[in-house]
Amino acid sequence: MWRFAGKRALAALLVLFAISVLVFLIFFATPGIDPAARIAGRNASQETLTQVRASFGFDRPIWVQYGLMMQHLFINRDLTSFVNRGSQVIPQVMQAIPVTLSLVFGAALIWVVLALIMGVAATAARGTVIDPLILVIGVIGVSLPVFWLGEVVNLVTQSRLHDTVFAWVPQLGYVPLTDGVGPWALHLLFPWLTLAVLYAGIYARVLRSEMVASMNEDYVRMARAKGIGETRVLIRHSLRTSMISIVSLFGLDFGALIGGAALLTEVVFGLQGVGKLTYDSLQNFDLPVILACVLYASFFVVLANFIVDLLYAWLDPRVRHV
Amino acid sequence: MRLHRIATVGVSLLAVGALAACSSGSSPSPSGSSGAAASSASAVPSGSASVGNDSDVRPYDPAHAGGTLTLLAKGAAGTLDPKVNYTLQFWQLYQGTYDGLTAFKHVDGEGSFTVVPDLAESIPDTTNGGKTYVFKLRQGIKFSDGADLTTDDVVSSFQRIFKVSSPTAGSFYNGIVGADACIKAPETCTLEGGVVGDKTAGTVTINLTAPDPEFLYKLSVPHAAINPKSAPTKDAGNTPIPTTGAYMFKSYDPNTALVMVRNPNFKEWSRAAQPAGYPDEIDYKFGLTVEAEVTAVENNQANWLYDPPPADRLAEIGSKYASQVHVNQLTAFWYLPLNVNLAPFDNLKARQAVNWAIDRNAIVKLYGGANLAQPVCTILPPGFPGYEANCQYTNPAGDTWQGADLEKAKQLVTESGTAGQEVTVIVADDEVNKAVGEYVQSVLNQIGYKAKVKAISGNIQFTYIQNSNNKVQISVTQWYQDYPAASDFLNVLLGCASFTPGSDSSINMSGFCDKKIQAQMDDALKTEQTSFDEANKKWAAVDKAMMEQSPMVPVMTPKLIDFISKDTGNYQFSKQFYMLVDQLWVK
Repeated sequence: MWRFAGKRALAALLVLFAISVLVFLIFFATPGIDPAARIAGRNASQETLTQVRASFGFDRPIWVQYGLMMQHLFINRDLTSFVNRGSQVIPQVMQAIPVTLSLVFGAALIWVVLALIMGVAATAARGTVIDPLILVIGVIGVSLPVFWLGEVVNLVTQSRLHDTVFAWVPQLGYVPLTDGVGPWALHLLFPWLTLAVLYAGIYARVLRSEMVASMNEDYVRMARAKGIGETRVLIRHSLRTSMISIVSLFGLDFGALIGGAALLTEVVFGLQGVGKLTYDSLQNFDLPVILACVLYASFFVVLANFIVDLLYAWLDPRVRHV
Repeated sequence: MRLHRIATVGVSLLAVGALAACSSGSSPSPSGSSGAAASSASAVPSGSASVGNDSDVRPYDPAHAGGTLTLLAKGAAGTLDPKVNYTLQFWQLYQGTYDGLTAFKHVDGEGSFTVVPDLAESIPDTTNGGKTYVFKLRQGIKFSDGADLTTDDVVSSFQRIFKVSSPTAGSFYNGIVGADACIKAPETCTLEGGVVGDKTAGTVTINLTAPDPEFLYKLSVPHAAINPKSAPTKDAGNTPIPTTGAYMFKSYDPNTALVMVRNPNFKEWSRAAQPAGYPDEIDYKFGLTVEAEVTAVENNQANWLYDPPPADRLAEIGSKYASQVHVNQLTAFWYLPLNVNLAPFDNLKARQAVNWAIDRNAIVKLYGGANLAQPVCTILPPGFPGYEANCQYTNPAGDTWQGADLEKAKQLVTESGTAGQEVTVIVADDEVNKAVGEYVQSVLNQIGYKAKVKAISGNIQFTYIQNSNNKVQISVTQWYQDYPAASDFLNVLLGCASFTPGSDSSINMSGFCDKKIQAQMDDALKTEQTSFDEANKKWAAVDKAMMEQSPMVPVMTPKLIDFISKDTGNYQFSKQFYMLVDQLWVK
C-alpha cells in the first residue's frame, strides 16, 4: 500500500512538472509574446528595452529562464508579476483562495441540499406529473450557461428592479468574512445561487436515476418485505446507497471548482477569486501569474485524483498490483 | 503615448441617436478652423508659458469638500511608480498626487494644454542659447511623509528616470547633459553637469546638449515628477512613493483597489498647477465587468467608470441618464500603418490607392457613429498644434474628408502592377478592431488584392505590428498624444529615428524614412526655438508632404464618453490628462 502511494505521489509530481514546462513553452512559442517591449513601455528607446530584457532575464536561454522562474516561485517564493510589477504572485493567489473557497463552499451546500430534495422528490413522485416536472427544471438549470445566468441575475437585481424589489442587494464584489457573516453572505448570495443552479440540476438527475435503479435492488425489496414504510425505504435504504455515486462526482467537481473552474461566476460577479485571477492573467499574458494559477489548479485536480486512486486501492486490493 | 482605452463600442444605431442628445462636454469641440488658435494658445516658446491668465481656474468651494469618491475600472494599470507607469489610467491620478517642476494647468478645456510653474516658482527664461534652465524651487513644500522638498530630491528624481529605466528615458530626457552615460549604465547615473542643485540658493539648473523647445512639456508629464531622494532606485511597483500633491496613495492592490487620501502636509501653492481637491478619499476599485460598472454608476454606488461604456448600454445612458454623460474630443487618431518596405505597399501608388479607397465614415459607424468619432485625413488631429485642414484623398475634393473614390483606387492598383497580391491585415481581437479589420479586408478585396484578416490579442498586437521581423503589411492601430506638440505625432510615428528593424519597440510601424521630410521636420523642430506659430506652419507642411507619400491611412479621431453618477458634480475635462478626478464633488 505504501509503495503504491509513493508511486502515485511521484507520478503526480511528474504531472505537475510536465504542466509547468508545457505552460512555459506554450507561452514563449506564441508569436509576438516577448514581454520586454510591453514591460518597457510604448516607444521605449532600444537601450531601455535592452535593460528591461536583461533585468527580467529575457536574454538568457529559455531553460535558465524556466529554472529562475521555478526558483522564485518555489524556493525564494518572491516571483513577481510581469504586468503589475512589484506584485508578488504567491500573496495574490493566497488572497484569492478565501474568495473562491467562500463561493464554492456556499454554492456546494446549496446545490447538494437542492439536489437531494429534487432527487428524492422526483423518485418518490414517480409516475406522477411531478417527476418529469422536476427533471425538466433540472435540465433547464443544466442548460443555462452560468455567465449568461449571472448577467441576467445582475440585470434584474442590480439594474432593472434594483430600486424596488432588490433594493437590499449590495453592490457586486466580495466582502471578507471578518467584516461579519451577514454582509459576507449577502454579497455572495446571488453568486452562490447562480453557481448552484447548474450543479443542482446535474446532481438531481444523477441521484434520481441512481435511486430509481436501486428501487429494484434486492436490498430494497428485502426492506419492503420486512414491512418497512416507503419513506424509510426511500431515505434509509435507497438514498443512502445512491449517495455513493454523488459523493465521487462531488469530489471531482469540488476539486475542479476550488482550482478555479468557478472562473465565469467569479468574473461575472466581480469576485477576486482564483478563477478571476487566472482569467485576468491570461488576458494580460502575465506568465508568472498564469504559471502560479495553472499549477495551483492542477495541484487540486492531481490531488483529487490521487486521493481517489488511494481510495480505490484501499477498497479494491486488485488495483494495488496493477 | 498609446493608451489602452480603445472603446468597445460597436455598431449601434440606437446609440448614435441617443448620444446625440448628450451634452457634448464642457470643452468646446475643436473644429478645423480653430486649429491655429489652439496652437498659439498652447505654444510654449521658451519661458513664456507662465504668462497667461488663470481665469479658467475655478475657485475652491469649501462647501463641497469631503466624502469618498468611488471610481471603477475592469483592471488596474500596473505599477504605481510614476516614473515607470505609462498609462492614461494612472497618469490621470498622478495629477492630484505628484508634481514636476512644471505642470499642465489643471483646468477644463483649451487652457489645459498650457504649462504653468508647479514646484518651481516660475518658468525661467532659457540661457546659453536655449540650453540652460535655472528653476527656483518653492519654499516650504513637504512630501506626504513629512520630509522637506529640497534640490537634492529634484536631482535624484532626474537620475531616477534612468535608474528605473523609465519608458521615456531615451526619448524625452536623452537631451540632458550626461544622459548618454545614464542610458548606457543606469546604476551609476549621476547626470553630472546635466542637473545641478544649489541647496543654499534653492535652485536647480538643467543643462541640455541642444535646445529643446518641447522640454517644458516633457517636464510636465509624470515621468519627470519629483520623488523624494529616498525613493527606491528600481521600479517601486505596488509600494506608494510619497507625494507632494493634494493626495497621497494609501494602499494599492492591483487585484482589488487603489486608495487615495488627502496628503496631510499639503498646502495649496498654485491652484492652476496643483489645486486642493474636494473628496477626502478616492477609492479606485478594480475587477467588475464593464456592464456591472455602468450599472453601479447608474445606481449611484460608484461615481465614475474608467472603461468606455459598452454599445448595448449607450442608448440607455444617452436617454435616461443624458445629463450625466460628457463627450469630449480627444487629440488622438485611429490609423492604418502601411509598411513601405514590403510588397505591395512598397509601391507609392498602391499606398495611395488604400488612402483613396477607405471610407472613413464606414469605420466611424463601426466605432459607434458620428457622435463618438470624426473622420480625418491628416496625421495631426483637428485642433492640435500644427493642424491645418487638408485632404488629398477625398471625393469630392475638399479640405476635409468627404468620401472615398474606389474607381480611382482600382485604377492606381492596376497602374502599380500590384493587383492580385496577398495582403494580411493585423488587428487586435476586440470587437471594434475586428470589425474595422474586416471592413479594410473587404475594401482591399474590392480594389484588387487578395486580403485576409488576422486578429491577435490586443495585449500583444501593438508590439507585434512594430517588429519588422513579423512582416506586417497593414494593420489597424491608434495613437494618443503625450503632450501637445506636432512632433509627438509626425516625428514619433514617421521619423527615421523611430524605426528600428527587428525590434518590438519601433513605433514607426510603416518603416517610413524619407530624408527630405526628415530634414523638414528637423527644421520645424529648430523653428520651435523661436516661434511655435512659425514651426506649426512648417509642421502642417510636413503633414501634407507625408500624406503625399501615404505611409499610413489616418481614419478617425475618437471622442471619449465619461459617465458620472447623479450625485457627482463639478466635471472638468483636461485635454491633456482627461477628467480632473480630484476636482469632482461628491457632496
